[in-house]
Amino acid sequence: MEEASSEDQLDPARELAHAIRLRSARMVARHGFGYLGQALSSAETFGVLAAHWWRPGRDDLVISPGHYIICAYAIGVELGLMDEAALETYGEDGSTLEAIGTESSPVVDLTCGSLGQGLSGAVGFALAARLDGEPRRTYAFISDGELQEGQTWEAATFAGHHHLDGLTVLLDANNSQVDGPIDTITTIEPIADRWRSFGWDAFDVDGHDVGALHGAIDQAVASERPAVVIARTSTLRGIDALPVDADGHFIKLPPEVADAAITELEGR
Amino acid sequence: MRTAPFEVRLKPYGTALVDLAREREDILCLSGDLTRQCEVDLFREAFPDRFINGGMAEANLVGMAGGLARRGYMPFLHTFGVFATRRAYDQVAMAVAYPNLPVRLVGFMPGVSSPGGPSHQATDDVALMRALPNMTVVEVADATETRQVVAEIADLPGPVYLRLKRGEIPVLFDDDHRVDLRQAQVLRRAERPGGVVLVASGMMVAAAAAACDVLEDHGVPTTLVNVSAIKPLDAATILDAVASADLVVTAENHSVVGGLGSAVADVLAQAGSTPPLRMIGLQDVFASGGKAATRLFERYGLSTSDLVWAAWAGLGLAAPAPKVVPPPVTDETYAPV
Repeated sequence: MEEASSEDQLDPARELAHAIRLRSARMVARHGFGYLGQALSSAETFGVLAAHWWRPGRDDLVISPGHYIICAYAIGVELGLMDEAALETYGEDGSTLEAIGTESSPVVDLTCGSLGQGLSGAVGFALAARLDGEPRRTYAFISDGELQEGQTWEAATFAGHHHLDGLTVLLDANNSQVDGPIDTITTIEPIADRWRSFGWDAFDVDGHDVGALHGAIDQAVASERPAVVIARTSTLRGIDALPVDADGHFIKLPPEVADAAITELEGR
Repeated sequence: MRTAPFEVRLKPYGTALVDLAREREDILCLSGDLTRQCEVDLFREAFPDRFINGGMAEANLVGMAGGLARRGYMPFLHTFGVFATRRAYDQVAMAVAYPNLPVRLVGFMPGVSSPGGPSHQATDDVALMRALPNMTVVEVADATETRQVVAEIADLPGPVYLRLKRGEIPVLFDDDHRVDLRQAQVLRRAERPGGVVLVASGMMVAAAAAACDVLEDHGVPTTLVNVSAIKPLDAATILDAVASADLVVTAENHSVVGGLGSAVADVLAQAGSTPPLRMIGLQDVFASGGKAATRLFERYGLSTSDLVWAAWAGLGLAAPAPKVVPPPVTDETYAPV
């Protein structure tokens, strides 16, 4: 287990988070709208995970909500797993980089557009690793909206019962879904206690604080149970140029806002 | 092919899966809380480390099967057919069919073979699975085919839905019979032109064979085709069989919407200039419960008599149609209704 990291040690995570925001803004700017809010809320989560924990080609990475796949494309380029030029095809006709993740999505081992399905696939990966007797880990990224889907809890039940300690869930709690803030539609709290009641360890942290995220993932990986890191986040985080009332699920990015956002990010 | 009443076997599927798993370490057995009912208590005893019980959570079970298949395993997933397909349809579509993974969905208790009511009767499972790209849909007719089909589907590319009768499984075929997933099998070919072609799958093969006997006895040239792979359907054999016939009758223990009858209709319509078609099956209804499956086969028009009547009327022969005399059945034997 790593010791609580110094600021310098976390710089790669911060840089990756910044790159996720900038590359995502550029991808979405070409279309004028898209899943930018997902990248803004999860940038630090993916930054810490990819910079410090996930070992590509060895550990399994699941991005359950395919709307976050834009983060994988950005990470893929940053880690040299895919060609930078491919990002220009994001969401275009005939591209393998679809706006909602598909079977052609690079970088990840599994992504799902139909929400609430990814954790079950991740449980399958973790079971396979156990059957293989390999120390391969499974990192499953899921969203708070997916807690409305019953299948998420079916998977949580199974993983808790079988003590699948090779499974770590990163849960982006951005309180955003298509029809508005999640808490105005259904109550999903208390998130951490719900997971604990299923036999999981749960760590509830500020999802834009890389130090807090690092410490939580460290504990989650070390846990003898399956564990979830709940990252409390905002879909507008990190770009002041966005209107405060922007729809975080599907952000509109007209040219003047896009230019301002990208200029702002490039200035950091 | 033997004649009714047929002797029965117990657990031909479960036995065959254990045999295959001895040779193939990639095979895993997944159960959704219906382990004995799906004959895989045998697997649980033989290979406890490769047996995974997901409980009553079919969506998760299918999703886990997808994950395991992506990591080199071949999951055989067991539950009742209605839960394997209708209950977890989006999961089957997205976690198994779309990525074209070698998951074997094994659904027991087809159609009205259960008196458990619409909640337990798989009456649209074939239609649902046929609609999915990459999916192979298989239904077998007896214990001999059941025993053989396990190894046959293991070697198919992509996902498979295998539809199996539960409980006492009749033996229609001798051991020299081979189940065929590449071709529809012409079990009996009419020796004269005209007459009817009966195209049947699963439990309706025994009924169609009985109907075949009655019709031939009454002078109607009758060809009998056993379809094991409903998808992909062997169009060539079916078109060849119907070429000189005056009528085609399909028989399925399933809704006539989207199942074998629909699949045959697709083939006939696209070929053009084929005989008219009558479909035996559930006529777009949910089947109400009953004390015994035999009563449901009668009530919903899935009996041997229904097949004979459909052929007789469809050929424009003068009423009444010949009467079907069912063979005597004991607790140890099986005959179609």
